[in-house]
Amino acid sequence: MDHEAAQLEKQHVHNVYESTAPYFSDLQSKAWPRVRQFLQEQKPGSIIADIGCGTGKYLKVNSQVHTVGCDYCGPLVEIARDRGCEAMVCDNLNLPFRDEGFDAVISIGVIHHFSTKQRRIRAIKEMARVLVPGGQLMIYVWAMEQKNRRFEKQDVLVPWNRALCSQLFSESSQSGRKRQCGHSERSHPYHPPCSECSCSVCFKEQCGSKRSHSVDYEPAMARTCFANISKEGEEEYGFYNTLGKSFRSWFFSRSLDESTLRKQIERVRPLKNTEVWANSTVTVQPSRHSSLDFDHQEPFSTKEQNLDEEVFVESSSRKHLEWLRAPGTLKHLNGDHQGEMRRNGGGSFLDSTNTSANCVDAGNLEDDNPSASKILRRISAVGSTDSNADDTMCVEDPQPDLLDSRAFMRYYHVFREGELCSLLKENVSELRILSSGNDHGNWCIIAEKKGSCD
Amino acid sequence: MIPKVEWAAFLEVADNLRLLQVPKGPVEGYEENKEFLRTTHHLLLEVEVMEGTLQGPESGHMFPISHGIPNMLLSEEETES
Repeated sequence: MDHEAAQLEKQHVHNVYESTAPYFSDLQSKAWPRVRQFLQEQKPGSIIADIGCGTGKYLKVNSQVHTVGCDYCGPLVEIARDRGCEAMVCDNLNLPFRDEGFDAVISIGVIHHFSTKQRRIRAIKEMARVLVPGGQLMIYVWAMEQKNRRFEKQDVLVPWNRALCSQLFSESSQSGRKRQCGHSERSHPYHPPCSECSCSVCFKEQCGSKRSHSVDYEPAMARTCFANISKEGEEEYGFYNTLGKSFRSWFFSRSLDESTLRKQIERVRPLKNTEVWANSTVTVQPSRHSSLDFDHQEPFSTKEQNLDEEVFVESSSRKHLEWLRAPGTLKHLNGDHQGEMRRNGGGSFLDSTNTSANCVDAGNLEDDNPSASKILRRISAVGSTDSNADDTMCVEDPQPDLLDSRAFMRYYHVFREGELCSLLKENVSELRILSSGNDHGNWCIIAEKKGSCD
Repeated sequence: MIPKVEWAAFLEVADNLRLLQVPKGPVEGYEENKEFLRTTHHLLLEVEVMEGTLQGPESGHMFPISHGIPNMLLSEEETES
């Protein structure tokens, strides 16, 4: 079970970050103000650990302290190192530090990548272990509840936004940063025009040729991703051509806790391509605007789920970008957010023009078009505290081409309000919660390591 | 930061790296001792292992350091144990 969780994370967290790391180096990422403040409040001479430091944007916020960066992703750590920071490659679940060595620890946008509750707990406990008594831990995780949109499920796969990458390529000089780009094992059976081929191939091409690509990448990616969904590729093209350049997110939910995970594994075992199982259960966020009738081969989502689902309005890939952008450039995900984003114009890769029908309305369609070719099964996540008690999962007989991993889907477990607090209170008794709240669509917590006499 | 240094480990590393003139510990009044501070600062923050290996004292496991970046990942068998 833990092995499967690790496999999912390898596929949809580690591989994605490794493949996309080159593009991070050029992002003008700034620190979240609250995190910045936390770091600046630490006593001079403190030793701090940034677990999941990425490119190291928090490592130099406070020159009076010594911050060590850790990340699972080698390429990202290299970027941090090149900036002159102390950073290493390691695993949040097995931190290579002695007990009680750090005065403070930060975990910003990290533990939502762990695919089971137990692993998330382990990650928090490890960070508590390396904290001195009285030392503080700050955790940020993506919130399920967002102002203008809602994740349908807690366990989601979010596509990597290639439009961002193409933007970077065209804007910045990619001098020393070319790396081997990731690619998936299978070749994509669907062959869109070469400038819009599957993500991984394009990445490679970009790396090799330093060609600048237009923002049309986005539709291309969508096309690629959806190519397998629809029988008629032409319809796809039409649909996405209409949408134009916009971010799209598809949310695929599966509960990855013990019981459900095990059933998933058993189901997809015959598949030789192990990556597919992670994608085989899909809940695609319904769109209020979309009237596209995806055909029966759309294998995802349960009928039951989509009946009541709230419409997903905005791209959550932008949410990810928020991690990387200065909060100043990205407003809160409030009511004015959409307007704000639109005003930013087409040049900004954060521009969300996706307020229209950009999400596949696969779920609703299924109601009208039950497919004989689909095999829907419901797996109820009984006892899972990670998702709704009445969550259901749909597992389709996996088709090998579905949801090509080269779309760089990143796995997230988005947290409900109060979930992070409960997680700590119930499972990590060595920590005491000092404060908690919501910051830009993230649940955050500051906790303190209890002393031995506590 | 000086009080936080684990001197035994520090000295062992310094020895392995064949560093010279390593203070054996925080000297009396080290806060004002410029010589001590300069040396310690240099050793702690300016000497970096670019290529090498770290060995876990208990497990004996070897972790590589490459381009100044230690890779502390355990193999899957090791993590499961």
